[in-house]
Amino acid sequence: MPQYTPGSSIIGDNRRKFMDPSKKLEKLRDIAEEDIVRMLGHRAPGEAYKSIHPPIEELEEPECSVREMVKPTPGAAAGDRIRYVQFTDSMFFAPATPRIRPMMWFTRYRGVDPGVLSGRTIVEARERDVEAIAKEYMDNETYDTARTGLRGRTVHGHSVRLDQDGVMFDALRRWSRDPNGDIKYVKDMVGGAMDKEVVLGKPLSEDELRKRTTMFRNAQGGVWLEGDDPEVGDVISEIHWNRTWGGFQPFKNRADLPGNKGVGVKGMKLYTPRGGVE
Amino acid sequence: MAKIEDKVDLYDDRGNKLLGDVPLTALSPLRNPAIRKICGMVARLAAVDLAGLEKKLSSGAIAGKQMVIRNKSMDLDIVGKGSEIAARVKDMIEVEAGDETRADLIGGGKRLLVEVPSARILADYSAARTNVCAALTQALIDTFNVDMWKAPDIKAAVWGMYPQDPAMTGTVVATLVDVPISNEGPGYTLRNIPVNHIAATVRKRAMPGACLSMILEESACYEMGDAVGPFERGHLLDFAYEGLNANNMLYTLIKENGQDGTLGDVVYALVEKAKADGVAKPKTKLGSGYTVFGVDDLQMWNAYASTGMLAAVMVNCAAMRAGQPVPSSIMYFNELLEHETGLPGVDYGKAQGASVSSSFFSHSIYGGGGPGVFHGNHIVTRHAKGQFIPCFCAAMCIDADTQYFTPTRTSGLYGEVLGSIPEFAEPMKAVAEGAKEIM
Repeated sequence: MPQYTPGSSIIGDNRRKFMDPSKKLEKLRDIAEEDIVRMLGHRAPGEAYKSIHPPIEELEEPECSVREMVKPTPGAAAGDRIRYVQFTDSMFFAPATPRIRPMMWFTRYRGVDPGVLSGRTIVEARERDVEAIAKEYMDNETYDTARTGLRGRTVHGHSVRLDQDGVMFDALRRWSRDPNGDIKYVKDMVGGAMDKEVVLGKPLSEDELRKRTTMFRNAQGGVWLEGDDPEVGDVISEIHWNRTWGGFQPFKNRADLPGNKGVGVKGMKLYTPRGGVE
Repeated sequence: MAKIEDKVDLYDDRGNKLLGDVPLTALSPLRNPAIRKICGMVARLAAVDLAGLEKKLSSGAIAGKQMVIRNKSMDLDIVGKGSEIAARVKDMIEVEAGDETRADLIGGGKRLLVEVPSARILADYSAARTNVCAALTQALIDTFNVDMWKAPDIKAAVWGMYPQDPAMTGTVVATLVDVPISNEGPGYTLRNIPVNHIAATVRKRAMPGACLSMILEESACYEMGDAVGPFERGHLLDFAYEGLNANNMLYTLIKENGQDGTLGDVVYALVEKAKADGVAKPKTKLGSGYTVFGVDDLQMWNAYASTGMLAAVMVNCAAMRAGQPVPSSIMYFNELLEHETGLPGVDYGKAQGASVSSSFFSHSIYGGGGPGVFHGNHIVTRHAKGQFIPCFCAAMCIDADTQYFTPTRTSGLYGEVLGSIPEFAEPMKAVAEGAKEIM
């Protein structure tokens, strides 16, 4: 049974929950499939999938044992185009973080190509596979309507201060907040016109966000990695020490090298006070 | 040579045993006859575009598309007299009667394949290209009785921009290996071959493709001085397990996760295998219950990790039937592996590091490349030594022509030429047979 990632705090628990495919992620809303297609903007709702090659069954594939052993995803089998969905997660306690997204997609999906960039996380896949991922990850607990954004371009917002009503900044104003508190998308993923607005619903409360987030943050009531969950840092330092050992002389015993023998760096002094410096 | 006592069983790409109890030393590029033949031919083969040469001379575009001198054109029936030109080239290149030399017309007479005899290479492999260029120039002058006023144009059409450009831009003589000035550093010669050429050579079969790619990468590591003394065992272990399906581990990982497995499933299956084989052992239990693992044999762990990485790339890319996820698959295979165990990723972090920049360069974020034109001789790929580029080759073998740079588009000629040589077409079998000869 995999252990996925270290951490004795709620952040560690949440990260493991996101990454463990045997754990079903809580569904917070149910956006219509047609509206997902509308927001992605790759094809019009109801339009047939375009393809870049014939279905795999009709192709004469080379006599390759790997192809014979590995089943294509539904999108690949049909020859769909490769398309993308991209999310921005606010550093103000969005449930998912850029780094955790590929880790959970790679344990939960086949045939995906995620990438973490500055403040946004993309995943490319065959078109119908992308739509399935977009649907699941806009419906479930990894997505908060105010702190997570669907953004194809002009993606910044991750490390920008929140708008006055606690919503992540969006330069293209793809979304707006109804007087009743609902967040609704008025433009598609790249800021293009949509024939219909899509209502996503109300954001989570601040308390709820702090319970669900996978982000360490020594500010505003967040969990402080160094102070509250040193185990995570210890494992990272162990990985780095092992990398250094391998880069130097991997044929030696680690015990024979001068320096760190156990796990983690002992006696590390923390200069940042609890709550951070603002 | 350092004393290496490990032995492995070699299996083919369908899980059939090829040879048992093979000493790692029999897989060394310095000793294995098949690997020596492959590397030797890679350095000595040259392909001449006769039809292209004829067109260059007739249009006056003698040293590349922008360098056209219209009144310098010459109408020579180069393709028509291909046999005569080939015979003259062979005669000039040959050192002794019956040596490896050949000059064969291929592609309906539009191209000429030349194998330069190894006797011509005294110290610098560039002799293959220079001798073919020089012989071809002379053969054209002789065949068409070109006078001294026109001869410089023949020379320019054959040699391209040499000597202004030592990389010989615009030459009609192509070799698999590039000129030394194009190498990233000393010993990089065999790393400077795009993976599409290799994918086309093995007719887009992923496991033989990864094997051939790794033969060249690991051989280059020997030439780079990276596989010397106690470091050699690490290279041979990586090569045996990742490139040659040693102990059938690569095949088994793919087979067990191929139908419904994710990349993560391959990571965790690899960790279970390492635990079961005693390669990874529990070291410390932390407060949350998380166990940090340790190893007694870090080189063996790296070989296991390298094998898992290639299996993970194959499973994820084949599920998508696309080559593009190879950098992200490498990155997150290593990320998940390190955070599952506390142990280092492939090549002690260098594969993961190289995957970051490779993602940029393979997704048109920075320039217009694609994984098919990648090779180990580049600033974004060179840092992981041996284990990294075979993953790109496997990915391009699996790709269902979703990429702009497909093997068919970029490497048809290489596939046609090299694919007909048994060692190149079936490298896993060839290395096993070579090992048997010297065991």
